[in-house]
Order: sequence, then C-alpha cells, then structure tokens
Amino acid sequence: MSTVAVEVVYRGIFQKSLARNIVRSIVFAARKEGKIGTAFGRYGDSPERNGIPAKQFAIVADTAEELEENLAVYQAHEVDVTINVDDTLCKGVESWAWYGLEPINKLTKPNGTLIVTSRQTAESLIEDIHQREEPFSLSIIPGVPSFSGLWVYKDDHTDVRILGTLCKVCPQLVSLKSMVEAIKDQGWSDLKITSAEKAYERATDRPVEPGEGSASVPFSFELPGWKTMEEGLVIRGQGAGGGFRGGEEGFQPDRNEVFKKWSTRSMRPVVNFETCIKCTLCWLQCPDTCFDVTPDGLFDANMEACCGCGVCEAVCPVPECVTMVNEAEFNDNNSQWEAWQLDKDGYKKWMTVLIEKEKLVERTHGFHHVGQYAEEAANAGDN
Amino acid sequence: MTTVQDLPQIRGVKNIPIQEGYTSGHRTCQGCESALVMRLMIKAAGPRTIVVGSTGCMYVANTTYYSTPWVVPWMHTQLGSSGSAAMGTAAGLASQMRKGKMKNEPINVIAFCGDGGGVDMGLSAVSAALQHDEYNLLILCYDNESYANTDIQVSGSSPWGANSTFSPPGKVHNIMNKRWKKNTAPMLAVGHPNCRYVATACGSYGLDFTNKIRRALTIGGPTFIHSIDPCPKGWDYDPKYSHELGMLAVETGIWVQYEIVDGELILNGPTKAIANGIRKRKPVEDYLMRQGRFAHFTPDDLKMFQAKIDESWEKWWIPGVVPMSPEAGA
Repeated sequence: MSTVAVEVVYRGIFQKSLARNIVRSIVFAARKEGKIGTAFGRYGDSPERNGIPAKQFAIVADTAEELEENLAVYQAHEVDVTINVDDTLCKGVESWAWYGLEPINKLTKPNGTLIVTSRQTAESLIEDIHQREEPFSLSIIPGVPSFSGLWVYKDDHTDVRILGTLCKVCPQLVSLKSMVEAIKDQGWSDLKITSAEKAYERATDRPVEPGEGSASVPFSFELPGWKTMEEGLVIRGQGAGGGFRGGEEGFQPDRNEVFKKWSTRSMRPVVNFETCIKCTLCWLQCPDTCFDVTPDGLFDANMEACCGCGVCEAVCPVPECVTMVNEAEFNDNNSQWEAWQLDKDGYKKWMTVLIEKEKLVERTHGFHHVGQYAEEAANAGDN
Repeated sequence: MTTVQDLPQIRGVKNIPIQEGYTSGHRTCQGCESALVMRLMIKAAGPRTIVVGSTGCMYVANTTYYSTPWVVPWMHTQLGSSGSAAMGTAAGLASQMRKGKMKNEPINVIAFCGDGGGVDMGLSAVSAALQHDEYNLLILCYDNESYANTDIQVSGSSPWGANSTFSPPGKVHNIMNKRWKKNTAPMLAVGHPNCRYVATACGSYGLDFTNKIRRALTIGGPTFIHSIDPCPKGWDYDPKYSHELGMLAVETGIWVQYEIVDGELILNGPTKAIANGIRKRKPVEDYLMRQGRFAHFTPDDLKMFQAKIDESWEKWWIPGVVPMSPEAGA
C-alpha cells in the first residue's frame, strides 16, 4: 500500500505541453501496472503567464481510496520526485498566486530526488538551491532547457528523457518497461523510446547533504486573513516614487513589494553603460517598469523587478549595449550601475566575459514555427 | 461640461514624463504589450486620473491576490460595462463637484477594456458612452486579439485563421476561425458623429501613443482609442519581439494608424507613408510567419490573407478604414 507523488516545476506556457506530457505519461505507465493515478495542474497557476513558474503533479496509488485521500488537498504536501525542467528555477519559485519565494526542493521528501535539465554542473546548481535540513539527491539530465510556444511543441525528446530518468531514480513509481509501453501507446516514435532507455541507463545521482546549498532566505510575506482585509476589499496603491535611491536626482518608482516577479526570469539584461546613448527606449518600452533612472541619466535594470522578457535588448539601437544573458550566470540581484560606479574596468571585463560566453550557448524563449527544431538541429551540427 | 486638464502634446520621446502611475509587480506575461499600454497611458494622463477597468488580463493580472502595481486610483467593473462605468464615474465626479462635495478640478476618467470587453461584450455600453457628449472620458480598448486571460479563446477581434482554444486547426479543416477581424474604430467613429476623437494606436510607437492619449483627454467629451497589443502568449512568439511585431502589424498594412478628429481623418506614421506611396507595404507573411498562432497556414492561406489586406488598401473607399464605396454597384 503506497502512494507516490511527482511534481513538475516549469515555466508557464513555454513548458506547459512538456509538463503535461510528463505527468500524463506517468499515469499511463502506472495503469499498465494495475495502479491508479491522476495528473493535474495547480489551480493557482491557471491561467498561466509566459515564464511565470507553474506546477503540475502526477499522483499514483495502489488503490482508489489512497488516491482520493491525496487529492483532497490543494496541492501535494510532499513529493517523492521534483522535476525541474528549467535550471534557473533552482533559485526559487514565485508562483503567479501569492506565496513569496519557495525553494525548488520545498516539497521534495527527505531522501527524495530533484531532477533538473541543465548544462550546469551539480556544484553550480547546488549554489542556487536553498539549503535544508534533510538530505536529497540531485539528478541532472544534460541539455538546454526545452522551451515551446502555446501552439507549437518542440519535440526534442526532453519529455521521454525525463521519464526514463524518473524510472531509474524512483523505481517504486513504475518500471521502465511500463513506461516504454506508455510511450508506445501515445503514438510516439521508436526514436523516443530509445531516448527514454538511454536516459534510464545514463541517469546519475548526486547526494546533497543537509546544509549544502544557498544560505539565502527566500522572501516571504504574512498573508492577510479575511478579518484583516479592508472594507470593500480595497487594495492600497503604490507610492509615487522619487529620486534614485531616495536622493534628489534621477527617478526610482515605488514597486509592488509582495509580487516581485524576478523568479520568472531565465535571462537578464546586462547593460554597457559606456556605450549607452541615453535614447530612453529600454526604459520607455519596458512593460515591467524595471529601469531606475540614475542621477547621470542612465538606466539601471532593477533585478528585483525584471522578468527577463528581452524587449530592452530588442529596442536598443546600440549593438551589445543591452545583452540578454543566461540567468544561471548570476548569483545575486545587485545593481549593475552601482557595480560599474565602483569599478569601471572590472565591470567591463566581467561584462565582456559574460557576453562572449552567451554567444556560445544561445538561450531563447520558446519555439514558434513548424520546422524550427529541424532548422536548429541542422544548424547545431552533430549536437 | 467640466473643464479638461492642461496636457500639452509631448515633443520628442525624451520628454515623455518620467513619473509612473503603473509600476512593477504585475502578474502579466513576459513582454506583455498591454502592460506597456497601461504604463504609457497613465504616463500621458498624469496623476490626477481615475482608471476603471473591465474584466480581462489587465484586471486579473493587476489586482489579484491583494496587491497591485497601480499608483493612481483604479476600480474593476464587469466585462461588458467599461462604457457605463466610465460614464458613471464622470457623471459622479461632475455631480460631487457641482454640489461642492469635492474640489472643482478637472480629473481624467479613463476606462479600459480588452477586445473581449470592448469589441464583443461591451460594445453597446461603449456606444452609449460615446453618445453622451457632456462627459469627458476616454475608453481605451487594448486589443490582444483573443480572450487572452483565460488562455486564448476567439473574440470578434481575432484575425482570420488564427489558432486558439476555440479554433484549433485540424487535418480536415485547416482554418477554424473563419471570421474577419471586426473594424471597430471606424464603426464607432461613423456611428457617433458627435464624438470628437476616435483613434487607433500601438504601444510600439511610444510618443505617438502618449500624444494620442493626451489629445483624447483634452479635446472634450467622450473619446475612444483602439490599441493593437501583441500578445506573446496567444500569438506565440518570443516575448522580446513584442515591440517589433507591433511595428510589423503597421508596416504590413494589417493595422492602420489614424486619428479621426472632429470628423477629419488623419493618418499617422508608417500608415501615412504607405498611403502616400512613399513606403511599400511589407508582405503579410513577414508578420504572420513570426507567430505560432499562424504556424498551420498553407501558402494558399497566406495568399488569401494577403489578398484581403490588398483589397482593404486598393478597393475600400478610404483605404484600410472604410470598407464601402460611394459608387452605386461598384
């Protein structure tokens, strides 16, 4: 008698189909073994927004009664395996709904497994993952996180590679044999079965000890109860803002303190303040009001507010003045303008290295036309 | 009629006000053009403004879970009632001021609605508001061409053939949304001759956009602006292209930029250059094939779409605006 729960943490819309494929296949495979299960998305994440972290769950039980017991809650309280399909989510998950920031391993059971698709090393990922008191395992599936669009799915086998790995790290869930049958039943190609089997063979496991990981404390808020809400459900507006860092010059808007949105970001803008011509376009066209105006008339992207859409890079008329860089390269949300003020040469070197590195592994948001994957694969050569 | 605020036209993009009335921390998608439209709208209108919003992305994303990015006062109204809420707010303010219950000063009233709220459900209320020319108000329709908040259902403003939850292409029927996009702004301009200002706009042209908001708020009486907002979620493209797709909509001639001021049609920006023959329209393919919602289009579908756009430019009485002809039998 047992219940096994799996969660998939993913980027809203971009990885919605991927997450659905994973949780559904788990349930299909479980049924092959006479078990009963269900796959569902978290209510609070719907309707999804591009990039904002969301969750889907698969719960598998031996009997219908056990399953019902687990479904009586809003979301699983703990899971055997957490699957994270975008490594930048290791920094934490701020839901569309209002929870503050949750560690990626918050629901992972003691000695459970966290599966991550990433090109980073285990050490580098553990730097981002919040510490906790119970041990868990980290299993990395090497690869660039797979992003699709709402209508066009990027079938790059990420789904089956995760399913293969899952069968290895959580044998009590389903066997590889049942999983292969479930893949076949969905009409997927033999190539996808091979991918699942290879992933099963190659699955790795890195134990993470208590105390290993990031020591930062995820931000949280006290949620108002119905008695503390104001009459007529009035919500207090934001302040008018003022000078940069409270000074006389520049401008810094007040910001929503309880929804920061930065965990939505999988890339962040890096600004070259020396080539900036102060055209104002990045600041003006930012849908998230994330640029602070500095006393010298430059624009400093506030990393507590930036959600990484990349519009600033797209509208900037100066080459490489604003460059979107993989979020995995950073360990803090500090001001770039302040860093540049302190050490201009040091900043330039730091920035140049990042931009050059970015050119080697380009990270994009999504996948939007038929045949794009074939084109990408052809361009990537033997990858 | 109450007086209007002194909001002069902004000369140059660098003179757009630095103050914000809509700040960070909203629950929209990455690269949401409608969020940008809210931000630019309130930059142009200034702090003495009341905003009323009907249900849609810009309601749900901006006030759910007991927090908000709004600096100015904002109130939610039902899906079909942006027009009535705008008129009620303007009338309420006028009444309070007349009775001496509040200081007599011009306060901008802006009601926004999405295409579901404005082009579909709330069209009658918008029409009613535009008839009552004793009230100063602006109705801004932010059009992302679907019911985007609830995960992309077809609206009267969705383009022909676009993929959506209600119009998924299949093997037998490739085109499931067979309706052509409603021509909303001209319909409202033609139908309400006393309405002094109707315009179309696009957030990609920030200066043009803010100046249109200011003209609408200062001309007096009820006014209407229809804005096209690329939606990275429903249109399915990389969020960084929000700005570029807005421009492509105009450059391909699919979206036509104009103002109708006291019955006079003034074309703006690239639309004006296209109409004057200075600029050629880009092929619609450049715009359509950038978006996943048209990924299923065959070459014939593209031709069909192009032909409809060509027709609107070559056959219509006023190109891109009025689809009728003054000549009998033409």
